[in-house]
Amino acid sequence: MTSAVAAFAIAAGVVAAMPLAAQRGQRGQQPPALPRAIAPRDFTGYWVSIVTEDWRWRMVTPAKGDYDSVPLNAEGRRTADTWDPKRDEAAGEQCRSYGAPAIMRVPGRIHITWENDTTLRIDTEAGTQTRLLRFGSNTGRTGVGPVSDRGPTGVGPVSDPDNASWQGRSVAQWELSGRGGGMFGGSPPKPSGALKVVTTNLKAGYLRKNGVPYSANTVLTEYVNVLGPEDNGDIWLVVTTIVQDPQYLNGRFFTSSHFKKLPDGAAWHPDACRAS
Amino acid sequence: MSLTRTSLLSALAGALTIPVIAHTPAASAAAPPHAASAQQSPAPSASLVQGGPSPAASAAQAAPQSQSLVEYDDEVQRAAPNGVDFTGEWAPRFHEDEPERVPGPELGDYLGIPINDAARMRAMTWEASIQTLPEWQCRPHSADYIWRGPSPLRIWKEVDPVSRQVTAWHAEWLRSVDRSIYMDGRPHPSPNAPHTWAGFSTGKWEGDVLTIKTTHLKEGYVRRNGLPRSDAATLTEHWMLRGDVLTVAAIVNDPVYLTEPFIRTTDYELDLHQWVPPYPCQVVEEVDRPRGVVPHSLPGTNDAATDFANRCGLPVEATRGGAETMYPDFRARIGAITSTCIAAQR
Repeated sequence: MTSAVAAFAIAAGVVAAMPLAAQRGQRGQQPPALPRAIAPRDFTGYWVSIVTEDWRWRMVTPAKGDYDSVPLNAEGRRTADTWDPKRDEAAGEQCRSYGAPAIMRVPGRIHITWENDTTLRIDTEAGTQTRLLRFGSNTGRTGVGPVSDRGPTGVGPVSDPDNASWQGRSVAQWELSGRGGGMFGGSPPKPSGALKVVTTNLKAGYLRKNGVPYSANTVLTEYVNVLGPEDNGDIWLVVTTIVQDPQYLNGRFFTSSHFKKLPDGAAWHPDACRAS
Repeated sequence: MSLTRTSLLSALAGALTIPVIAHTPAASAAAPPHAASAQQSPAPSASLVQGGPSPAASAAQAAPQSQSLVEYDDEVQRAAPNGVDFTGEWAPRFHEDEPERVPGPELGDYLGIPINDAARMRAMTWEASIQTLPEWQCRPHSADYIWRGPSPLRIWKEVDPVSRQVTAWHAEWLRSVDRSIYMDGRPHPSPNAPHTWAGFSTGKWEGDVLTIKTTHLKEGYVRRNGLPRSDAATLTEHWMLRGDVLTVAAIVNDPVYLTEPFIRTTDYELDLHQWVPPYPCQVVEEVDRPRGVVPHSLPGTNDAATDFANRCGLPVEATRGGAETMYPDFRARIGAITSTCIAAQR
């Protein structure tokens, strides 16, 4: 029995000393794959929003003071109560309700394409906006792993107020599931199928057309999944939107929006921003 | 011969006289990832076996009896189905449709729901006081509607004690019944099997998304203002975990009352301090009315059916719902409108 225990100790030491890669079999050193090449699903194409939720705040202009469902703080409510669409028009700010924290909630079609191998592009009919989702610079060319281009708060990319915009700066990554590790049972990370996007550097705007505000300090986190095809062939794009704004919100503001895939862009008709 | 973790474990076990079955590539290819565990596993618990043995149980019967006490293979681990653990206490966030979901929808508000004329007629003849009938007082929300209800959610998993595979997920809200989602590959029962509030649900992984098919639902509603959902409807759900946020897409197909699939996506936030309280519903006589009376409006007599449209300054045509109202192009039909309703006026 003594020799068996000794053998166990020796073999256990060898196992512990082996790099994981060696234990799993050596793989050749290949250049990291480009985000476009390793996309877990095809996010591209034309999609139309299906407005089965929040209809009265999305399909028509809500009444001034109608900020139901939004966790506004007192300052947020005060600001919403000062909404004046004519003032916004005069200031050339009629796109305030078309910024990144709101745009996926505005009814319309969207068109998703690859701008290049590391950037997803979303064009919207509503307000003729363009979003560029750039895969993180520090995540390597693979575009997977943590969003590492973080600012001092640790929750989003570095702020650059001089270049703030309605769509801000968006850093994308393919979500990984699992952390791996552990000798037994720790499965290595795999693509979960979701796209995660963190957006900052936003111009202050509106969560709803009736002046429900978000500030320039907002951090927007989005998760995007393609679902289906369903039994009838439908393919869905679901976007979970999490808005964090310490200035106007009491807590995180969650919405999830759904889009149905279209066969083509035949119905594509971009329109201009409207303040009301 | 490459040195693998399994071969080392074999050496270890050999030294300790523990028998090991190593998975050869051929064996791995011939059997699903869970089959190795199934060789050792007894049939799933009796509570899960209905209408014949599950595939796992069949595999257990067909496979030779394993002598091993230690089985592990990196390749099997890597090939394991994707998936994520939804276990936890989930707090609803009413950042969408709060007036509908918490205080309740207004009569005549069918905005954005792809209903047909039959559904519209039933909703227009519905009276809210039907909820006072003893037969309705303790009626739980059905599996399709409950995601939109004003209720905390608890999700837990049922695990086979030997294979450690998740055999079922369970979801329960404040005012609901325990809902089981079977993950062991069992078929749905005969169409003639009983229909329930929870229905019969089976799930499968698509990456980290849990996709669930539900049949055998009792008749229910898609909105709590009388919009019906038939017992012929089916439900497809996609559960998605985003950090500490759960997003669920629920898609109802109803050949009786809907002209297109009806999709809603709902968000919950993980709250480890939450506790779903008991809900011991008790039936009482709330209203003294003659025996057999069922509150209703006859077709064409519901005067309150346009109150919502009038109060909010919306076209009655829009509030009547229908598939066209859920598409963005419907805005061109009704023109630029500013609503006049705010919550304070409710």
